[in-house]
Amino acid sequence: MDFEAMREYLPLFWDALGLTVRIGWQGVLFAFLLGALGAVILHLRLPVLRQITAAYIELFRNTPLLVQLFFLYFALPKIGIRMRPAVCGVLGLGLLGGAYMAETIRSGLESIAPIQSESAESLGMTRLQAFRYVILPQAVSRSVPGLIANVIFLLKETSVFSTISLMDLMFTAKDLIGMYAKTMECLTMLVVFYLIMLLPVSVLGSFVERRLRHAEFGP
Amino acid sequence: MKKAIFRRVITAAIIFAFAFSFSSFAYADEGDFRTLDEIKASGVINIGVFSDKSPFGYVDENGDYQGYDVYFANRIGEDLGVEVNFVSTEAASRIEYLQTGKVDIILANFTVTEERAEEVDFALPYMNVALGVVSPEDAVIESLDDIGEDDQVIVISGTTAETYLVENYPDIKLQKYDAYAEAKTALENGNGVAWANDNTEVIAFAIENPGFVVGIPSLGSADTIAPAVTKGNTTLLDWLNDEIGALGEEEFFHADYEATLLDVYGADYEDTLVVEGGVTAAEAPAGE
Repeated sequence: MDFEAMREYLPLFWDALGLTVRIGWQGVLFAFLLGALGAVILHLRLPVLRQITAAYIELFRNTPLLVQLFFLYFALPKIGIRMRPAVCGVLGLGLLGGAYMAETIRSGLESIAPIQSESAESLGMTRLQAFRYVILPQAVSRSVPGLIANVIFLLKETSVFSTISLMDLMFTAKDLIGMYAKTMECLTMLVVFYLIMLLPVSVLGSFVERRLRHAEFGP
Repeated sequence: MKKAIFRRVITAAIIFAFAFSFSSFAYADEGDFRTLDEIKASGVINIGVFSDKSPFGYVDENGDYQGYDVYFANRIGEDLGVEVNFVSTEAASRIEYLQTGKVDIILANFTVTEERAEEVDFALPYMNVALGVVSPEDAVIESLDDIGEDDQVIVISGTTAETYLVENYPDIKLQKYDAYAEAKTALENGNGVAWANDNTEVIAFAIENPGFVVGIPSLGSADTIAPAVTKGNTTLLDWLNDEIGALGEEEFFHADYEATLLDVYGADYEDTLVVEGGVTAAEAPAGE
């Protein structure tokens, strides 16, 4: 191992980590908002919107992110829609993640037995109150493990960003290997930097999971 | 709670230790290669070529590999009496393919450089090359000084153009791509002001794509392109050098040019590009 070279590459890896984290989290946030919206539409069975949401989910869950990025970055300019690589990255990640998040949140909502909202309403709560104080807290707590898995999945998906010229961690490592052929050094740094990014997420995730279990009710 | 955190730290430490040892494990057998006899005995030679770099190495509409490099690769297979298994490579992974023994020879338009010669063994050259820059004709880049502060120049990761610009023009912003196909689409879409690459490649691009011109036809030092083998694979290297020498007598690379490059470049570039018998024009008369 050439530690001198590794020290030299360190700033480049920090830059790449910064870019990966920035785009990754913006994408995750976008995905969460999109997913929450989609889940509510599916849960409330809103006509027309429900079909559109279902089509969206199937479309984005069944195509690879790589293909989606290609489409956003290389195909859309042909019809005059031009976006910066970073915007394509956030959008691609958000659209992909939104589909997964929607399903996760929806299954959380659906896992709460209908008798609970019926009971809440029979106790005099309005539908909205029943949703806000009885259904939602339990649904969120049940969705959390799935949501965290989605976050980690999305942050790892950033590794295909090289296609659209974003210097994320993966591309930085590959690029340096191509130029200086220090394969072992670069790949080791790559693994370590991914761990730096993702270990805190999974640690925080299991902490949040434990805290939120308070909201669980019944079997 | 304290105990739980402590346990997590231990787990993290184990994960890191595992990652480290795994990565050194995976590369313990660096420099893996097959000797000439082993290749002959197996009946197949693995040759790494480009699949998206027309007209040097590309896949045609029938799914067959074609191009200047491929033409040479087929001849190598013929003369060795083995079948050629083409392996598609990207620019940045050419050295890795050799070091991990995934291919026996790289014939992917590989420019000879000092840094690369430390990692792989180059045989005699079969082509000349310099760098070039292509740009749209309504905003031609004729000098690297024309490139504005916010302009981005497209390069392909792991090419000599990238290394040249990084080392000599660190202020120029680069937009890097993995593959030729993507870089070309990016240039067509106007994502960068110009594309810097081997001049052979940018000239071909300008000929095939009206609206683009090569504003800088020659940049950097004059280099050569040669086959590469895994470091230390002397039996294969010696055979390749003998082969390239022998092919010079029948003007093989001129025939190669005429079969694969003539349609793109015309006859004008033939003597500039082709290196016959491993002897470049620069060293032929002086005999250094």
